[in-house]
Amino acid sequence: MDKARILVVDDDKEIANAIDKLLTMEGYEVVKAYNGLEALDALVVNNIQLILLDVMMPKLDGLSTTMKIREKKNIPIIILSAKSEDSDKILGLSMGADDYVTKPFNPQELVARVKSQLRRYMYLGDMGNASTSSLLQTGGLCLNRESKEFTVDGEGVRLTPTEFKMMELLMSNLGMVFSAEQIYEKVWEEEAYSVENTVMVHIRRIREKIEINPKEPKYLKVVWGIGYKIEKY
Amino acid sequence: MDTKLKSISRHSLTKLLAFILAVVFITAAVVQGAYVLFMGYNPESIIVSEYKSSRTAFKYEMNNAFHETLGLIQWQGDEDVEVNTSATPFKDSVANQVGDGVLEEETEVEAQEPSEVIAEEEVNVPQGIQIVNEDKDYIFYVSDGVNTFTNKESYTREDFAKHEDTFLAFEKGNVSYGKKVDPSIISWYSAEDDVTLYLAFTDDFMNEQQKGWEAGRDVLVPMVKLFVAFIILAIILIIYLTIVTGRLPYDDELHFNWVDKIWTEFMVGAFILTIIGWFYGVYTLGVYSFRSLNTPINNLTSTQSNAIYLIGVITAVAVLLCGVIYLALIRKIKGKRFIKDCLTYKFFYRIFHGVLDFLKSFFDGRRFEKFPLTKSLHKRQIAFIVASFILVFLTFIFIAVPPLMIFPPILEIVIILWYVKYNNKTYEEINKGFDESLEEQMKSERMKINLVTNVSHDLKTPLTSIISYVDLLSKEDDLSETARDYVNILREKSNRLKNIVADLFDLAKSTSGDINVDFEDLDLKKLIEQTLGDMEDDIEKSGLTIKTNLPNEPVMIKSDGKKLYRVFQNIIDNALKYSLKGTRIFVELEDKDGKAIATVKNTAGYEMDFTAEEILQRFNRGDESRTTEGSGLGLSIAESFTEVSGGSFKVDIDGDMFKVIIEFQ
Repeated sequence: MDKARILVVDDDKEIANAIDKLLTMEGYEVVKAYNGLEALDALVVNNIQLILLDVMMPKLDGLSTTMKIREKKNIPIIILSAKSEDSDKILGLSMGADDYVTKPFNPQELVARVKSQLRRYMYLGDMGNASTSSLLQTGGLCLNRESKEFTVDGEGVRLTPTEFKMMELLMSNLGMVFSAEQIYEKVWEEEAYSVENTVMVHIRRIREKIEINPKEPKYLKVVWGIGYKIEKY
Repeated sequence: MDTKLKSISRHSLTKLLAFILAVVFITAAVVQGAYVLFMGYNPESIIVSEYKSSRTAFKYEMNNAFHETLGLIQWQGDEDVEVNTSATPFKDSVANQVGDGVLEEETEVEAQEPSEVIAEEEVNVPQGIQIVNEDKDYIFYVSDGVNTFTNKESYTREDFAKHEDTFLAFEKGNVSYGKKVDPSIISWYSAEDDVTLYLAFTDDFMNEQQKGWEAGRDVLVPMVKLFVAFIILAIILIIYLTIVTGRLPYDDELHFNWVDKIWTEFMVGAFILTIIGWFYGVYTLGVYSFRSLNTPINNLTSTQSNAIYLIGVITAVAVLLCGVIYLALIRKIKGKRFIKDCLTYKFFYRIFHGVLDFLKSFFDGRRFEKFPLTKSLHKRQIAFIVASFILVFLTFIFIAVPPLMIFPPILEIVIILWYVKYNNKTYEEINKGFDESLEEQMKSERMKINLVTNVSHDLKTPLTSIISYVDLLSKEDDLSETARDYVNILREKSNRLKNIVADLFDLAKSTSGDINVDFEDLDLKKLIEQTLGDMEDDIEKSGLTIKTNLPNEPVMIKSDGKKLYRVFQNIIDNALKYSLKGTRIFVELEDKDGKAIATVKNTAGYEMDFTAEEILQRFNRGDESRTTEGSGLGLSIAESFTEVSGGSFKVDIDGDMFKVIIEFQ
């Protein structure tokens, strides 16, 4: 297997170099570009498997570059930006980016996100098509009801039976918010009384297993003051 | 050339010289006038060269002669009346009137003369023609048919008529007269119709008078010429002084001196008094040493010389004073100060303006200058109401005197106009200030938002590099132990910096209002439970216990869940950090009168020597020495987030108890 080739685009050369070093240490090949136009050129010349893209750049900004790339290619794009507003994230993702990482980022988290995206792009590409009704899937999460297997971006994760039941409930109703009581009654099959804390503790544990950054969960989200849900991707 | 002329003409020496000369000329003229009068020369001789043509001399003499002559026959008539007792007293009164018409003294003297003469002559002269007054300067004949008087028996009409210049005839009402006789000056009415009168002056007399007349002329004419010259020169000098007074050679400004500071009234008064004093002095001296006209003398008496000397001195002093005052007044007129320098003007101006200004100051805001605008409006309103009230009161008083009723409405109109005018001005000022402050506020708000956005990016970019390279550094294999410690410190601190920056911008955005708030219906009880569950690890680590007292029913509020989570997270985090070891943290929630009140209480592990306000100040750390974690912005963010999501945030410090109260409607 060839090493994955990653294009790092940032007008700040030090940041581009740091990411270069970081990814090289993880065993990836890195190509650097310093603005959107260079990035598009680099894409033509090299065989690129993933792009890390800054938003605020001269000549052609990250969002426009994303749109240009999406016209031809389907490769994963992770946006790196100092803009941390929700609206910025939504805009970036809706432009065609696959992930959005805010600066300053944790290098380990960035590496984890890169790995996650590559795994999905390179090895799991068509898995969804082969799945049957016994498979529940969203984003990189995959739950097999029959084999009781749970994978995140293709990697197996060990869940306890309670956790598996909770995930099964939430993933079979993607985007739907369940209150702690509802979850408790469905999973534990007992009457719920003061169960918020119990459910919350389980949610936290699941997050630590499936989320890259449990503090900023991508899949298992708390709707504060209402309940819990798994985001539909 | 022009300036040179100016520098000379305006020089103070030139002016002084001109002034002195003017005084001298006027004094000299007056002294000459006095001299002429004292010398007894008839001033008419200056214009009229012949004695017989003169009005004041010859014609006056002729009138005198006529009445003397007529007096003879009238006196005779009176004698008859007394004898016959047939005539009316009318004649007597006529005679008296005649006496009144002419110089009284002389008439009386003349009137008595004939009687003595008659008494003498009565013996010698036959009845019919009486010869009297042979030594008169004139010849005469007078007859009323009964008595005839003459100074020469043989006179015929021709004897008189041959004096063609000085002849006068009154023949029973018919008047004829010589060339130089002016009949208009003679009082004919005293003569009765039956009188025949002839009169003529002798040539000897006329010649003699002519000689005297000419002698007077010889003296007077040059004197008058000189007099006129003096007066003309003085007038020229006065005009010159009038023009240049107050001006100096080097500029065109008007200059005043100390004299000009005297009130105008005093100056005018002094001027008039000086003139009166001078006139009185000269008049007294003149009367004292006056000599009748037509009696010239060759030398002045010593009294007269003294009088002339005195007149000169008085005149010089008077002219000096008047000159000074006159020039000062001229300067005032030039400087448009004539009226302004009036004491009366000042007095009335002060009174009028003082009163007006005092009243006005209530309305134009000056009286309330030290107050803020709205307050001055308020005060002005009070002034307006009081003034109106007084006017209403005055109206009732004026009802007693109907014509005065017109004043209150007029004054009321004036007051209303003032009130409205100055109020509008104040309103304008208020609006202006309001607009300005609003604009200012919006500007600073925009600036703040831009600053947050830009600074956020500018801070985050280098921070990204720092964190990345610290991470790379920590992965180096050949680092020494110390270097690895240092790198760990760097990593910790850069992560903390990252948190601070994030907190800082969260706070900045929420306080500037540039933050999205997603309001939704949520259960505050559930939110607190979720937060506590989420933070269980931290709670366990801290070794503190959390005591909750939450209601069984959901407490529904409308707010932003994500932000409220941050709020409770920060508060509990704060409590965990600063609580005394082994104590408990109380988290309570109650639904009271439709209000959701959440309280978090903890016992501080140190003395809280700050107030509730101070702890909410940004960057204020409860205890600086205790920990280096966190940004110090936790409570500030909690406060700000609570407020943007529709709640109120309060901190209460009671001894060692630290209490946060959050309220939602």
